[in-house]
Amino acid sequence: MKLLVVEDEALLRHHLYTRLGESGHVVQAVADAEEALYQAEQYHFDLAVIDLGLPGMSGLELIGRLRSQNKTFPILILTARGNWQDKVEGLAAGADDYLVKPFQFEELEARLNALLRRSSGFTQSTIAAGPLLLDLNRKQATLDDQPLALTAYEYRILEYLMRHHQQVVAKDRLMEQLYPGDEERDPNVIEVLVGRLRRKLEGENGFKPIDTVRGLGYLFTERCR
Amino acid sequence: MIRSLRVRLMLAAAVLALLFMLALLPALQKAFSLALQESIEQRLASDVTTLISAARIEHGQLQMPTLLPDERYNLPYTGLLGYIFDRDGNLVWQSRATADQNINYRPRYDGRGNEFARIHQGDGEEFFVYDVEIKLLGGQSAAYSIVALQPVREYQHTLDGLREKLYLGFGAALLALLVLLWAGLTWGLRSLRRLSRELDEVEAGARDGLSREHPRELLRLTGSLNRLLHSEREQRQRYRDSLDDLAHSLKTPLAVLQGVGESLRQRSGEREQARVLQSQIERMSQQIDYQLQRASLRKSGLVRHSVQLKPLLDSLCSTLAKVYRDKQVSVALDIPEAAQLPMEQGALLELLGNLLENAYRLSLGHVRVSLEEAPGQLTLCIEDDGPGVPADQRERILERGERLDSQHPGQGIGLAVVKDIVDSYDAGLSLGDSPLGGAAFRITFTLD
Repeated sequence: MKLLVVEDEALLRHHLYTRLGESGHVVQAVADAEEALYQAEQYHFDLAVIDLGLPGMSGLELIGRLRSQNKTFPILILTARGNWQDKVEGLAAGADDYLVKPFQFEELEARLNALLRRSSGFTQSTIAAGPLLLDLNRKQATLDDQPLALTAYEYRILEYLMRHHQQVVAKDRLMEQLYPGDEERDPNVIEVLVGRLRRKLEGENGFKPIDTVRGLGYLFTERCR
Repeated sequence: MIRSLRVRLMLAAAVLALLFMLALLPALQKAFSLALQESIEQRLASDVTTLISAARIEHGQLQMPTLLPDERYNLPYTGLLGYIFDRDGNLVWQSRATADQNINYRPRYDGRGNEFARIHQGDGEEFFVYDVEIKLLGGQSAAYSIVALQPVREYQHTLDGLREKLYLGFGAALLALLVLLWAGLTWGLRSLRRLSRELDEVEAGARDGLSREHPRELLRLTGSLNRLLHSEREQRQRYRDSLDDLAHSLKTPLAVLQGVGESLRQRSGEREQARVLQSQIERMSQQIDYQLQRASLRKSGLVRHSVQLKPLLDSLCSTLAKVYRDKQVSVALDIPEAAQLPMEQGALLELLGNLLENAYRLSLGHVRVSLEEAPGQLTLCIEDDGPGVPADQRERILERGERLDSQHPGQGIGLAVVKDIVDSYDAGLSLGDSPLGGAAFRITFTLD
């Protein structure tokens, strides 16, 4: 998933960037609200982690701006004070959950996963499509109860397609899931990855969940639950 | 001890007026009686002059006309008494009005001229006497004492009447004075009453400070009070701002340290150090949270706040509904629309936030908030249908820093903060069983 992290403290920002990256997310980490607004305008994000105590434009104002620009991705706020005034104001401005500093990374991850799951309409931590089962917590896919050996990139593409099942997903969007920013943008990489993914998913039982929509992108045809 | 300023002033003024009148009364009576005596003396002198002008000497004998020019001498019982004595004190003439009088008066012809005196009779009767000695009468030498008398009785009667009128007049004046004084004080103290009303409004949080429309004498007081109010408000704001800064500047580094600890934990050789680091970070964080919250939720000294409960609960519930969306908790708010609690907004928000989050976290799906109003008492009750708290642990979990559910994420200081807030507002906190099946927290406020 592509995440936007807005945190002014460089060390914490770096820590979040690294740890969330290790968990298989593509992270864009910025230090202030203005940069965050720019990023949100330029790219598609699946979730944002926003510190309330930002210098300049506050976290609260940033959330309000994002929501007024019809950005619907879930937002998790980080608050140093941990008082209810902040929490109530933050969630009223449009955030979806809060976490008080300092936090254990596991807790942050659990909250993020819950928010991501909820935003794509799933209530369980697994997504099932026919014989295919995706465990969102363990980042593991099984086909007919057999573990699938997927690389991190292949898993990300599969998870994204399944979360947006029965929707056409553009190649650019998939690219954003793999790389932050504009660097290394080569559409062929996606084609190669999707090709490898298809070979691993499609067996003798006729299960062919990923279609190519020419000129537009890919479509996960199976209904996911 | 008289506590009313108005009653004190009234009492002091009444005593002063009374003392003043008591001192004035004898002086007035004295002055009047002197004036009366003087007028009596003048009248008697004129009576004597009438007698002298009527008297004639014929052949060395005093001759008085049968009818005197003043009618009153001619009639009996008029009270106008005239006598003429010769130089040896023998009565030679007396007016008709003296017929029934038996006055024991013997003038001494000693050449001292006129004399005004007051004489006592054996029967207790008193008379004013005006005694004139003459040496010449109608150009002939003659030595007579011409005496006019008037009973003191009449004078005394007039004096008594006057005294009675004086007492009545002074009493009425005192009464009128007190009534006027009361009205004046009411008018004068009206500004104090307005000041007290404005203070009530300030205490109730309905106004920021006292108005400037007070009498000059009070302006210094209201000015000082306004400055005090302003500085208290500003100080609280500054205090809160610096606490926020402190929280941010302490807890963000802690979050960084937490991250470092987590990285350490991934290396097999340093797992133990990472564990120590993390437990210390958690301890510091809890302490910071607890102390900062405690410091920021101090009750204000002057202003008595009151908050509408329903809107606050609504915003808290919508916050928690968002956070616990997966749980689908249904909340029953059994709160009258206009219900108010005697607390500051921030403190009430922390109190309810902590208790409600507890309820949301532990409940299976039902939470109820209700307010019971009894005379002089308000009880706010927050219940859930969770596992509840065993009776023997209730006392302990209300203690500072205790947490019963270490498996749940949370700051662990929630209940300690709740207890602190409840204590600072002199309210009561109790923990019992709820009919829903879980815990029931009751906060009881005593209203003054």
